[in-house]
Amino acid sequence: MRISDRRFALFLMTPAALFLAVFVAYPLFRLVADSFFKISPIAGGPRDFVGFQNYLSAFASDAFMGAGWRTLAYTVVVVTLEFALGLGMALLFTTLGRRSQVWRTVFLYPLMIAPIVAGLLWKFLMIDNFGLIGTLLHQAGILSNPNQIGWLSDPNIVLFSVAIPDIWLTTSFMCLVLFAGLQNIPGDLIEAARLDGARAPALLFRIILPLLRPVIAVALVVRGIDAARAFDTILIQTNGGPQSASETMSLLIYRTMIRFGDPGLASAMGTIYLVAMLAVAFFAVATIWRPGKDS
Amino acid sequence: MRVAERTRPDAGKAAAVTAGSSVPSTTHEGGRKRRGVNREGLEAGRRSTRTILWILLAAAMVLYGFPFLYLLFTSFKTPIDTIAVPPTVLPKEWTLENYVNALGRSGVVASFINSIQTAIISTLLSLVLAIPAAYGITRYKTPSGRVFIMAALVTRMVPPVAIGIPLASMMASVGMADTPIALSIAHTTISLPLSIWLMSSFFEAVPRDLEEAATVDGCSRLGALWRVVIPVVSGGIAVTAIFAFLASWNEFLFALLMTAIRSQTTPVVIANFQTQFGLDWGSMTALAAVYSIPVILLTLLLQRKIVAGMTLGAVKG
Repeated sequence: MRISDRRFALFLMTPAALFLAVFVAYPLFRLVADSFFKISPIAGGPRDFVGFQNYLSAFASDAFMGAGWRTLAYTVVVVTLEFALGLGMALLFTTLGRRSQVWRTVFLYPLMIAPIVAGLLWKFLMIDNFGLIGTLLHQAGILSNPNQIGWLSDPNIVLFSVAIPDIWLTTSFMCLVLFAGLQNIPGDLIEAARLDGARAPALLFRIILPLLRPVIAVALVVRGIDAARAFDTILIQTNGGPQSASETMSLLIYRTMIRFGDPGLASAMGTIYLVAMLAVAFFAVATIWRPGKDS
Repeated sequence: MRVAERTRPDAGKAAAVTAGSSVPSTTHEGGRKRRGVNREGLEAGRRSTRTILWILLAAAMVLYGFPFLYLLFTSFKTPIDTIAVPPTVLPKEWTLENYVNALGRSGVVASFINSIQTAIISTLLSLVLAIPAAYGITRYKTPSGRVFIMAALVTRMVPPVAIGIPLASMMASVGMADTPIALSIAHTTISLPLSIWLMSSFFEAVPRDLEEAATVDGCSRLGALWRVVIPVVSGGIAVTAIFAFLASWNEFLFALLMTAIRSQTTPVVIANFQTQFGLDWGSMTALAAVYSIPVILLTLLLQRKIVAGMTLGAVKG
C-alpha cells in the first residue's frame, strides 16, 4: 500500500521542480534557441534562422566586448571594496563585543532598501550642480568648485561612481557573513597566538583570514554573482552613459532588446553572458573551496 | 554536491552564533557551539583601545546612515528647496508638500496595491512550493534531492535579464501580460531557490524521532509533515516568508519588462518619475521614503530572525 520513501520524496519535490522547469529552464531554452535567429521586434514578424551569425556579430561589436570588460571591472571593484569594508566592520563589531549588538542591526538597514531607491538616492547625492557630495567637499576646501568631479558625467570615473550604491547596499551583507564566521574562531587559538607574541597584522593574515577561508569564499562568490548582474542601480543613475561608459552586460542586453529591437542578438549576448557567469562561478567554487584541508 | 555538504556545518554554526538560540537549526549542533569562547580572544582589552574603536564605529555609522537620512530630510523640503544650489542638509522649512504631490499623482496609490499584491502572491507561491520540496530533500536524502538542490543553486546564477525577456513573451502568449500573477510568478523564480535553501536548513534541525513517533501513532507521512513538523519550523517559515516578500517588494527588472500601466509596481513608478515628469526630485524622495520605511521598520522589529535567515541564506546559497 505504502509508496516507497524515494517516491514520496520525489512527489514532494515535483511541484517546485515543475515550476523551475517551466519558468526558468524553458525560458533559458527559448533564450538559447532565439540566439540562432534573426527576429523582427514586431510581434508575429519574420523569424529567420541565421546560425551563429548573432554570436559573430556580438563578438565583433565593440559595445559587447566593452560591456564585458566593464562588467568585469565593476564586479572586481564592488566585491573588493565590499570585502575590505565588510571585514573591517566585522572585526570592529567583534572586538567591541556584545555591546555593539544594536549597532550591528542598524548597520543592516540598507539591505532592506530597493536597489532602485539606493541608485536614485546616490544619484541625488552625486549629481552635478545640486549634488550634496560635491558641495560638502567644496565647503571642506577639498574641491575648488562643487562640480570639479563629474561623478556621473565624467566617462573616466562613472563606472566607479555607479558602483557606490551597490557597495553601500551590500557591505552590510558581507559584514554579516564575515562576522558570523569570526564568531566561530576559537578564542583559545587567538589567545595562544597572542601569548606567542603575534601582533595584530600577523593575527589577521596568519590566523583569522586562513580560518575564515570557507566563509570568505561563499561571501565572495555570492556577491560576485550579484554584482555581475547589477542592473537597477546603474539604469537609474546613468542608463549606461555617458558614452556607454557605465554600460554593463545586463544593460547592454536590455537595450539591445528594448531600444534597438534585436531579440536575436540580445539572446546571443544573453547566452554568452550566462555561460560566462556559470563558468566563472563554477571555477571560483572549485578553486576557492577545494583547498583539501577540511574533511 | 561537495560544496553543499561542506557548507552545512558552517551554516549551522554561523547561525548559532549570530542568532543565539532563537533559531531552530542550531539545536542539533549544540555540542559544537563555541558561543562566547572567543570573547576573551578577539575582544579588545584595554580601555583606551575600546574608546578609539567606539569612536571609529560611531564615525562608520554616521557615514553609513547619512545617505538615507538625507533622503528623508530632502523629502520634507519644499519642492524648490529640493534642487537648490548649493544644497542644504536640513530643510529650511519642513513641509509635507512632496508627500502630497507624490501620493496624489495618478497611478501611485495603485502601484502600492500592486506591489503588495504581487509580493503576497509570490511569497505564498514560494512557500507552497518550497516547503514540501525542502522537506523531501532533507528528510529523504535521495540522489534526486541532491541533484535538485544543486539545480536550485545554479538557478541563482542566472542573470534575470536572460530569462526576463523570454519569460515576458511567454506570459504575453498565454494572455497574462501585465498581470500581478505573471509578475509574481517571475518573482518566484528568484525567491523559490532561496526559499528551498532556507527551508532545507530549518528542516535539517528537526529531530527525526518527532515524525517517527507521529507515524507510529498512525499519522501518514503527509500528516506527520503537516501536523508535527510544520508547527515546529513555523519560525523558519516566517523567516523564509520575509525574504520572499522582500525579494518581490524590491525587484525592478522583471517589473519593468512585464508590466505596463495596469500592474505596475512602485519601483517602476519611482523610476518613471525621472523620465515622465522631468526631474521631480522632491516627489521621488517622498515616494522612495514611503516605500522603504515599512521594510526598514520590519527589519528592526524582527532583527534576530532576519539576521539568522540572512546568514543561513548567504552561507548556503
